[in-house]
Amino acid sequence: MKLDTLIRFQNMDRRWIFLGMGLAILIPMLVPITLPFKVDERVQALYDAVEEVPNGSTVFISADFGPSSRPELEPYFRATLHHLFRKDIKIVSATLWPSAPPLVVPIYEELAERYGKEYGRDWCFLGYKDGKELAIKSIGENIPNAFPKDHVGTPVGELEVMRGYQQAKDFPLIINVSGGAPGTREYVLQIQGQYDLKIASATTAVSGPDYIPFYKAGQLVGLAAGMPGSAHYEKLVFPDGPPEGVRLLATQAYNVLNVGHAFIILLIVAGNLAFFVTRRAEEQEA
Amino acid sequence: MRSTLPLILTFVVGLFMVGEFFIPHWRYHMWTQVFLEWGFILAAAAYVLGLVNLVQVNLPKVLNKEQDWPYKLIMLAAIATMMIPGFIGGETRLQDGQMYKWLFDFVFVPLDATMFALLAFYIASAAFRAFRARNLEATVLLAAAILVMLARVPIGENLPVIGTKLVQFMNWIMDVPNTAARRAIFIGSALGAVATGLRIILGIERSHLGTDG
Repeated sequence: MKLDTLIRFQNMDRRWIFLGMGLAILIPMLVPITLPFKVDERVQALYDAVEEVPNGSTVFISADFGPSSRPELEPYFRATLHHLFRKDIKIVSATLWPSAPPLVVPIYEELAERYGKEYGRDWCFLGYKDGKELAIKSIGENIPNAFPKDHVGTPVGELEVMRGYQQAKDFPLIINVSGGAPGTREYVLQIQGQYDLKIASATTAVSGPDYIPFYKAGQLVGLAAGMPGSAHYEKLVFPDGPPEGVRLLATQAYNVLNVGHAFIILLIVAGNLAFFVTRRAEEQEA
Repeated sequence: MRSTLPLILTFVVGLFMVGEFFIPHWRYHMWTQVFLEWGFILAAAAYVLGLVNLVQVNLPKVLNKEQDWPYKLIMLAAIATMMIPGFIGGETRLQDGQMYKWLFDFVFVPLDATMFALLAFYIASAAFRAFRARNLEATVLLAAAILVMLARVPIGENLPVIGTKLVQFMNWIMDVPNTAARRAIFIGSALGAVATGLRIILGIERSHLGTDG
């Protein structure tokens, strides 16, 4: 191969890379490749933490994600709702992200209907609260103070599911579905240590490595990161495959990632080979 | 007095909120809740200030047709387009059939998701150009990146002979060097935050008052 070609390859127009990446995502969507996978230890710990919650108890879910992180986190969010409702666990939920309510409320309503759960008795959504760390601190201290009404304006005192749950430590488990800040990091820093809370986190692939130290230190009882984390959780919740009317969104997307990752690795390897050949040739010329 | 009173307020409130971690008495917590409530009100007021500031900065530029004025006009129009249906819809704005819900579902969601999805393309391009084994450090970074990328997806896990070892090695990278580096960063930044907090509480750092101190 000519040296010029290798140099041109290293400096190729990035639109070719974009095209290749587009095809690497599109083709496996059209022709799915399904490969088996083992569940990550941190996701297993998250699943086990939910399993340990006694049936009939109430957990708190902070659904802190928006449209940008939705593809990675919605599959986990759906899977965990299946898991909780199936175990007859009640849910009190809120969000610190203004873009979350229109995304999460329809999912709650859909799955609550599927499992015959009633709003106010089996689950509630307290809506959005601004203030970031202040709101988290307030969830730790006094939830009705931070959220006097739910997302449709009902006073929290009138919600049966809220009775006996005044602050974060009243819940046996807090699940934070975190697309970024404010999210898991802020929950851990503001209230986990102070109230010795059991917090589990599902987060984006980008944030995952940031939260591993929290998991290793026992500040998080479980961690699902990115599309792989969501796919692993789906596998745990539906070990025999999805029931009728349920799509395993992350499992499908996980297999799409195979080709995407392979494409980037091939690009890097090819780029380095071209780099070494041209560098050696330049050294010989010199 | 103009600068002394805010300094006294900062000192008292700052110290009071720190004390909350060490004094678990219910009366103390009752007062910290009051402070938190004030914080919510201030945070909400910041939105209003932000909106006023955006209009104050951008509207004159649009009226005077300064550089990039069409973009500023689009931004102001976008703010109005989301805000007005939100106010009109009130409590029902998130119900199907409401204009705010329609704008959220069919404008905001696709745009926000697209912005994030574009990262895949830019990361592919940046990885191709930046990951070159030019020296030892770059080679270690490159090897770690390839290994983690491969082991994170089933294709790597299912590689014959080395698949399981690959996943174990990836987990070691994430659990040991990654955790060590991030803990160092966390602890370093936490100590920095403590120092900055003390400087503000003690009035040494006064930039929040609009002065360099």
